[in-house]
Amino acid sequence: MTRSQTRVETLLARFFFLAAAVIVVLPAAAAEPLTFEHNIRPILKVHCFDCHGANEDVEGGLDLRLRRFMVHGGDTGAAIVPGSPEESYLYRRVRDGEMPPGDVKMSPEEVAVLQRWIASGANTARDEPETLARGVGITPEEREFWSFQPIRRPALPKVSEAGRVRTPIDAFLLDELQRRQLSFSPDADKRALIRRAYLDLLGLPPTYEAVEAFLTNDAPDAWERLVDELLESPHYGERWARHWLDVAGYADSEGDAEGDRVRAFAYKYRDYVIRSLNGDKPFDQFIQEQLAGDELVQPPYRDLPPEAVEKLVATGFLRMAADPTVASGEDTAKNQVIADTIKVVSTSLLGLSVGCAQCHDHRYDPIPHTDYYRLRAVFEPALNWKSWRNPNARRISLYTEEDRAKAAAIEAEISEIINERATKEQEFVLTALDEEVKNFPEEVRESIKIAYKTPSQKRTKKQQALLDAYPSAKITGGVLYQYNSKASDEIKKYTAKMETLRKKKPFEDFLRVLTEVQGQVPQTHRFHRGDHQQPKEVVAPGGLTIAAPEGKRYDIVANDASLPSTGRRLAYARWLTNGRHPLVARVIVNRVWLHHFGQGLVATPGDFGKLGAEPTHPALLDWLADEFMSSGWSLKRLHKLILSSTVYRQSSTRQTEGDAVDPSNQLYWRKSVVRLDAEVVRDRMLAASGELERSMFGAPAPISVHATGQIVTASARRSIYLQARRTQPVAMLKEFDAPVMQTNCDQRPSSTVASQALLLMNSDFILQRAVAFARRLRAETLSTTTGNPEQLAEQAKRAWRLAYARSASADEERTAREFLATQLPLLKERDAARREREKEAAAKKSDDEKKNEDKKKDKKKGEEPLDPELQALTNLCQALLSSNEFLYVD
Amino acid sequence: MRTNDLRSSPITHGTSTRRDFLASNAMGVGHVALAWLLSQEGLLAKQENLAKARPQFDLTPKQAPGEPRAKAMISLFMHGGPSHMDLTDPKPELTKYSGTKYGDDIGYSFINDASKILYGSPWQFKPRGRCGTELSELLPQLSEIVDDICLIRSMHTGHNGHEVSIRFMHSGIAGQLGRPTIGSWLTYGLGSESQDLPAYMVLTDPAGHPVDGVHNWSNGFMPPIYQGTVLRPREPRIFNLDAPQHLRGRLQGQNLSLLAELNRRHLQKHPAEADLEARISSYELAARMQVAAKEALDVSSESPATKKLYGLDDDVTRDYGTRCLIARRLVERGVRFVQLFLGSQPWDNHANIRGRLPQLCARTDKPCAALVKDLKERGLLDTTLVHWGGEIGRLPVIQGKDMKKCGRDHNGQGFSMWLAGGGIKGGMTYGETDEFGHRAVLDKMTPNDYQATVLHLFGLDHTQLVYEHNGRKHRLTANQECRVVREILQNG
Repeated sequence: MTRSQTRVETLLARFFFLAAAVIVVLPAAAAEPLTFEHNIRPILKVHCFDCHGANEDVEGGLDLRLRRFMVHGGDTGAAIVPGSPEESYLYRRVRDGEMPPGDVKMSPEEVAVLQRWIASGANTARDEPETLARGVGITPEEREFWSFQPIRRPALPKVSEAGRVRTPIDAFLLDELQRRQLSFSPDADKRALIRRAYLDLLGLPPTYEAVEAFLTNDAPDAWERLVDELLESPHYGERWARHWLDVAGYADSEGDAEGDRVRAFAYKYRDYVIRSLNGDKPFDQFIQEQLAGDELVQPPYRDLPPEAVEKLVATGFLRMAADPTVASGEDTAKNQVIADTIKVVSTSLLGLSVGCAQCHDHRYDPIPHTDYYRLRAVFEPALNWKSWRNPNARRISLYTEEDRAKAAAIEAEISEIINERATKEQEFVLTALDEEVKNFPEEVRESIKIAYKTPSQKRTKKQQALLDAYPSAKITGGVLYQYNSKASDEIKKYTAKMETLRKKKPFEDFLRVLTEVQGQVPQTHRFHRGDHQQPKEVVAPGGLTIAAPEGKRYDIVANDASLPSTGRRLAYARWLTNGRHPLVARVIVNRVWLHHFGQGLVATPGDFGKLGAEPTHPALLDWLADEFMSSGWSLKRLHKLILSSTVYRQSSTRQTEGDAVDPSNQLYWRKSVVRLDAEVVRDRMLAASGELERSMFGAPAPISVHATGQIVTASARRSIYLQARRTQPVAMLKEFDAPVMQTNCDQRPSSTVASQALLLMNSDFILQRAVAFARRLRAETLSTTTGNPEQLAEQAKRAWRLAYARSASADEERTAREFLATQLPLLKERDAARREREKEAAAKKSDDEKKNEDKKKDKKKGEEPLDPELQALTNLCQALLSSNEFLYVD
Repeated sequence: MRTNDLRSSPITHGTSTRRDFLASNAMGVGHVALAWLLSQEGLLAKQENLAKARPQFDLTPKQAPGEPRAKAMISLFMHGGPSHMDLTDPKPELTKYSGTKYGDDIGYSFINDASKILYGSPWQFKPRGRCGTELSELLPQLSEIVDDICLIRSMHTGHNGHEVSIRFMHSGIAGQLGRPTIGSWLTYGLGSESQDLPAYMVLTDPAGHPVDGVHNWSNGFMPPIYQGTVLRPREPRIFNLDAPQHLRGRLQGQNLSLLAELNRRHLQKHPAEADLEARISSYELAARMQVAAKEALDVSSESPATKKLYGLDDDVTRDYGTRCLIARRLVERGVRFVQLFLGSQPWDNHANIRGRLPQLCARTDKPCAALVKDLKERGLLDTTLVHWGGEIGRLPVIQGKDMKKCGRDHNGQGFSMWLAGGGIKGGMTYGETDEFGHRAVLDKMTPNDYQATVLHLFGLDHTQLVYEHNGRKHRLTANQECRVVREILQNG
């Protein structure tokens, strides 16, 4: 047996043991001897180490990190007496609720385990170390955790039914299925397949024609070719960028409490992601650019070639956290930006919630308090809170030298005009003063003039009093118009001239980037309890200790002499992507899997730690991670591999056997039916109604506040291009679970709530799409005659093709006919009644009123009632757009 | 290792009776086989299934395991820290020593404004009702229902900060975000009595969201069906509730029938697909809500006397009165948990308490009392628990320099709140603060005691109502030391 095979089996065995353990509440625990390392230390780590071992100052002199320390005890004597819980001070204090102090106590189960351990002799799993370094450290038990193991390529399991195995992925899954006497479901029909592929890879539906062409294509590799074709579509990048933007926490606003100010240039990062994915940029490079693109470009950042711009824009990833320092200079706000940035990095790339370690050792995962600050030190030269740059100060201008020279010349001209204007203004003011003093008593006129001309800080009290007594002498440029309107107009001409000149300045475009300030190498301190006002020892940059083998912790050089920057982020990014990091590749392939199947192999994509879920198929996860890295970190190859697999091509129909064993389809015996993401729902509606505007990239499409208070947009661009304000989420997207960015979004929920139904019944959004859809049908079937039921039925038939990319069945055609036939008389009746009412009202109105009416009508254009046929068709369209066939993919 | 045991999973049983569990429910629908039901049937212990099988949830009404007294709850949440020694907790000693220096330690929030000068209440207290509980002249209307309420004078969060204590009150752990709120736990445990309305509803203030925003009605780690549904402070109180004018009536009915027909055919091709069934129900519910919610939120049909009772005839009380009245109407229609909020934190009287406190009392005293009176008159008070209170109280010393314009700083060591109805003993006080109102000294009651008591009134045991998340069992009271305060129950 090979080593990797053994490992697979061990992993599997452990998986099933844990699977049972989690739910059955440790039934086997009574039989197994309790040890300090396995059973007690984890409890003490959560509840006690903070005061009794983690820090230099140990409360009551009691250190609980080793059994022998406990036996030795602290100021009040031995903490435990092996064999006798009642004599054990530690146990008694805990049992009586005196320890730990504060609100969070041990659970009764935990107290019971402690009691049993002491009673059974307080055993350890092995000899305890002679010496123990400061801090909580990482134990061998913690190192054994699955996600910290190196990624090794497991051997493929041997399975029967080899015919169903199209790719190695299938072998791993089938192996598990067969252990439960299950197998894959039959392949889905081609219609379902092409729909699935389009919505999954492009987030857009196939056209009817594309479906028909695929159906008639009998080539054995028709499916593979289709997948290739879709992966080459520019819309692929739009769809998959959205997934990455979720974890990156993309937003077009800063999230400051005052105004949630707009980030005018953040969209370039969004475009960078789309372009990178479309170009299948190797993911290791993609990661490196996002973490350290600036360190790959030689400063100064001027006259930048496109490749340099691209690398700089990539660092927008590290600028996605909410940044209220645009409005507030508070240290707390600055440190929060750093903490949020670390959260984005760690949840997206490491699949770990390192945030807990900001204040203390992570209570569940082996992430010491200092490790958090090692990570922080990687970013601190660029996010230096002691010498903070607010968002505007961080921008890089795209001015070329030529632009700059041109702009400077214009500015010089402008300042000349400013001077001219000031001189002119002064002249006018003095002339006005000469006139004004004529209204004052003669004896004060001269003294007032002198007082006026004296700079205010040099005026005597008497002079000031004099001016106060004759306030109309206090003439300034701003009030000049009250004295001499001609002079004022003259001055305005200068201003107009300046405006004209300013407009001639070349447009100044900016990049939103993360950079370091050359020469600034701040020290990172560990913050006691995460409080930046309590800095402790200096911490050097490096990776998480647990992410490297024992004794091989990755330390980063504080300042790389070969680079103008410190090089810390670049070093870190290269280490993350060197192929040996245990988390990065697993986390990435798991995300890809999640988006293809609606669930991850690890159900908690942002938490691969102890509080996260265990992988359902650990061997497959490792195989995919290894395959991903060894085929050049190519996302497109990974998609292709997955889509070529039987698991992806299965039918979604429920089967009795599968339902009986695994109703939630954790074993992948079918393809699960999933609701489309919010953006796909909206984009698909726009595609069906013919409104979808497919232009790519650029500044976000504007949003606005609807009369009801909901956020809407008039744009028909794909949803990824809509402005993403943190405080103004587009109602339609938010309702269907699109994230409203606080920091970032690990995984979207998929909710089914009545407010969604109300939106699809009554909102302007759906009504407008339905009208546009109906108008499209009318236009495309070239039917101008109204009232012809045959033509209406023809239009209805076409609606099926546009909405579902398939023909209506005979049944459906009949349903549509019947529907239209029921609605038409009612609508005609209403229409006639309305006309009658309008006529009557018009007869009663004066001409003036009619004029007003006309004006109002102009304003309301597009809102006038539809003719009955169009309304009936619109209603049919609305039903199609809000149906399950439209909202789900099977 | 196990191979075949997965077949005996109770989830299997859940699937086969999926439709039985499936009920249309307001704002959240579908989904089956939840941990609660299983544990009720004693099945959870036997459950041996794939790890982390995605559990499914619904809002069907569930029988409480205990003997419920309350069926619904209305919480009038008073953000900011109502000043107990000026409202509900008379302190003659404080009045006596007003203006002198306090001898004990004080934890302040605003150190730059800190003072140790005691500040006696500028308002008069008098015994009220048959019970004789002393209340401030600022709350004349509360005095009229004092025989129906249990006034708790010994609340204690141990934290002076707003958010820390707010989260403690709502979701069981001081300061911690991401946990479900009381309303979530009640709807998780008991489902909804209404087929036409959301089970957990929140009425926000025209002045905006309260401090801590949406966390106040968060479902935390529970599924979104247990999240509070926010009614907007103004019309439309629910977005998209009204059918467009030109579709109202028969037309929309026909539209929905067509949609149902399309969905029915689609479901035939995807039998037993819970999510699709849930979506179908969500349309049915939405259609019912168009009528039911509209009707429930429309107070125009209430009698003039009722409107007057709640103060709808007065600009000062109209907004809060209308919301109290809506709360009663929702509970009448089967909504499980309704919570009212004020904008920001108006009870946070750091300055000019003499000016501001009376204004806020004028705005809220009458509607709050009206709610209890009205519920009682309609025979609903027995089964409806009413809660009035904030997250902290205030200090007995002045904040600021000037006694005339001073305020009081935060105090989580001792403060008041009241409960009425739903099995609560009326006409009593519970607990005491010290002679100055600084710290709870007798029968100290923590937010967890309060939560355990609330659950108990609904027939739920706070130690048994668990929700599994990330492999851990969670409880509202978070395994913290607490108890059901039987002394304040009618049949304690």
